[in-house]
Amino acid sequence: MDNRPSDPKKEDYAIFLKEITKTFPNGTVANFGITLGILKGEVHAILGENGAGKTTLLRMISGILKPDSGEIFIDGKSAKMRDPMDASRLGIGMVHQHFTLIPEFTVRENVALVLAESGWLDLKKVDAKIVEVSEKMGIEIDPEAKIENLPVGKRQLVEILRLLCRDVKILLLDEPTSVLTPIEVDSFFRIIRDLKSSGKTIVLVTHKMKEALKISDRVTVLRGGRVIRTVPTTEADEALLASLVVEGLAAPPVVKRGTPGDPILSIDSIIVKDDRGRTAVDGLSLVVRAGEIVGIAGVAGNGQKELVEAISGLRRVESGIITLSSQDITNKSTRFIIEKGLSYIPEDRMHRGVVLTMGIHDNLALKCIERPPMSKNWVIDRRSMINYAERLISDFSIKASDPCMSVENLSGGNIQKLIIARELSNGGTFLIAEQPTAGLDIKASEVVHQRLIDLRSRGAGILLVSSDLDEIIKLSDRICVMFGGKIVGEFFPENLDLERLSRAMLGAE
Amino acid sequence: MIEWAILVGVAAATLRVAAPLILASLGETVVEKAGLLNLGLQGAMLVGAFSGFMGAFFTGSLWLGLVCCVIGGTITTLLYGVLVINLNLDQVVSGLAINLLAGGLTLYFTRALFTGGVAPYLQELFGPMQIPLLGSIPILGEIIFSHTGFVYFGLICVPLISILLTKTTFGLRLRSIGEDPVIASYLGIDVVKMRYVALFIEGILAGIAGGLLTISMFNTFDTRIVAARGFVAVSIVILGRWNPLGVLAGSLLFGFTEVLSLRIGILFPEISSASTNQLFALLPYLVALIALIVGGRRVRGPASLGKRVGRE
Repeated sequence: MDNRPSDPKKEDYAIFLKEITKTFPNGTVANFGITLGILKGEVHAILGENGAGKTTLLRMISGILKPDSGEIFIDGKSAKMRDPMDASRLGIGMVHQHFTLIPEFTVRENVALVLAESGWLDLKKVDAKIVEVSEKMGIEIDPEAKIENLPVGKRQLVEILRLLCRDVKILLLDEPTSVLTPIEVDSFFRIIRDLKSSGKTIVLVTHKMKEALKISDRVTVLRGGRVIRTVPTTEADEALLASLVVEGLAAPPVVKRGTPGDPILSIDSIIVKDDRGRTAVDGLSLVVRAGEIVGIAGVAGNGQKELVEAISGLRRVESGIITLSSQDITNKSTRFIIEKGLSYIPEDRMHRGVVLTMGIHDNLALKCIERPPMSKNWVIDRRSMINYAERLISDFSIKASDPCMSVENLSGGNIQKLIIARELSNGGTFLIAEQPTAGLDIKASEVVHQRLIDLRSRGAGILLVSSDLDEIIKLSDRICVMFGGKIVGEFFPENLDLERLSRAMLGAE
Repeated sequence: MIEWAILVGVAAATLRVAAPLILASLGETVVEKAGLLNLGLQGAMLVGAFSGFMGAFFTGSLWLGLVCCVIGGTITTLLYGVLVINLNLDQVVSGLAINLLAGGLTLYFTRALFTGGVAPYLQELFGPMQIPLLGSIPILGEIIFSHTGFVYFGLICVPLISILLTKTTFGLRLRSIGEDPVIASYLGIDVVKMRYVALFIEGILAGIAGGLLTISMFNTFDTRIVAARGFVAVSIVILGRWNPLGVLAGSLLFGFTEVLSLRIGILFPEISSASTNQLFALLPYLVALIALIVGGRRVRGPASLGKRVGRE
């Protein structure tokens, strides 16, 4: 049963972690007593929820963070890494969840950043290396392409290519598929298998059980910063892994679909430009009805952000009409649109959702501060603000010691609960939920989902914009795929053709 | 009818007046490429002008004055570095603090050291040096090749900085820091060291840009001697889109308007009067404003420019 590895010096291990503990300055214990051996030439999945300590572990192996205690062995030798360059010299390279490519630079320049020696920039040598490695990987990459113009899937390949240009032997991949469409995931896995057969060791961090089962040789489950168990993938299935990942997880309730009524939001062929003046939303039309969740699926950067900003009055609509509850809200002020019934859960919750340095009571009252009971005759009634906050804190089970405490001291999940509490208590008839569960753990996500479903059942219309396809499929009554600023396909969650959906996401439908 | 000789004179003066702007804005380009918005450039120029004058006055050697202005300039920019790199303070506030400090200290020492609080005159100045052969080309020789060494140095620095930024590994790494210092550090680039090197380069250039005012252009020191050249240089960097050639063009534009404002009476005697001349003195700043409105729209500088490195 217990297959804890014991001998760190054994040459079979590419990486051996011995009793690794890491505590952050704010007191969070990210990793505790982790002992784990990664065999040479295996694909090893590290599975766990958000906050289980997976990324922290990878960052220690790649030299970005230093463990508080414990020892890391690379190829049987104790390794003290002070920075990522030390790890690089040992043949370790990491692909971060947020890419470490400079978007303004070309592929060539990005590779040159890590490859070139001091002095004159020898781009010919860099090009030669790119060609050599990309041929070996079986991919086509234009060295002169600017990263910001490449699709996300391609950017990831550039990341990996850059590591291989440095002759990396151990690849650490942090949630590599979170930005990919299902088709891209398949071709990405092919590359992983090729890398494995060429003798590379691959550590893959993920929170998706299916992926761990599909690609890995062994799976290690982390929970609360500890190793729960390591199992050979052939002996694992989803039920087993789920029980290891989450303690006491109830089976997710079956989501009943809504019964759509009259249109609440209708968008008629709007054109919206992005920050650089390029057309981001290109003649898009869309209707969201009462009692309906419409999911917007699509690869990030296809105009979703601009669409949401146009609806909420944050961005100018060049042409076309948006109506909310049969009133024209095109290019109206955000305040006007909110009064007409808009609620908004923004993607960037730290900056757009809350004022971090203000109290919970302030943040909850922000949208209704100008009316009684929050204020009378231009004077704020602090008592009723606090009462209101106390009520919402208990209704939405926000973990807070004091209704006036500063929001920056709340965890990400509780901040999201706070935003949802405010937006759902504002009497809105239409909600935009943008990446509502990004960065939340399974339990918190489940709460958010339930709130959205409840709101829909009460007859509100919801526009759900998410890059998490599973979430879209689970919640939506109708799925619209956005590509190149247009809706390129409409799908229904029943009898969903995933293949067609992901082709639509790539603009190939 | 304006005479030929006057036009040649204006062209030559443009280059002469532009020289401090070229040097200062090239220095600012380098640090901004590394993501630092150094508004303390103004202060660095002022300290350069002051220390250059002091060096030349007390040693009697212009060359030692030159050394002193370089030292003064680099100390000032490196002090800015301590504030924003080591102490992680706000870049704009730190830059303005440096300017206040530079203004206060130079005023204090001028008053403390010289009777009446007025700096005396230098006995000699770095004068023009006509370049053999090239200098004797008609018109062109007079416009480009009969200046002080500072003008030539500024002109040589344009391609040098351009090559440094685009053709060397150092430049590529520096630019990556300007785009995203966190990513750069993940890639093993020493952000702190690189930023100090950039500030060191700026300090040399800004020190000389200030110093040339006292040891070559005017022959004394006054706390107002830099005028707003440091701030103008910062806007030239935006106008020149962080490109040394663009910065050269921007500096020449400002040099030209300054010369125009000074010589408006000679060029257009019919519209010249005491009150209009006062107005024309505004011309460079007006052009700065218009140029930024017209040329500064939709330009994207280094992505992390002016941003504090977040706590993680």
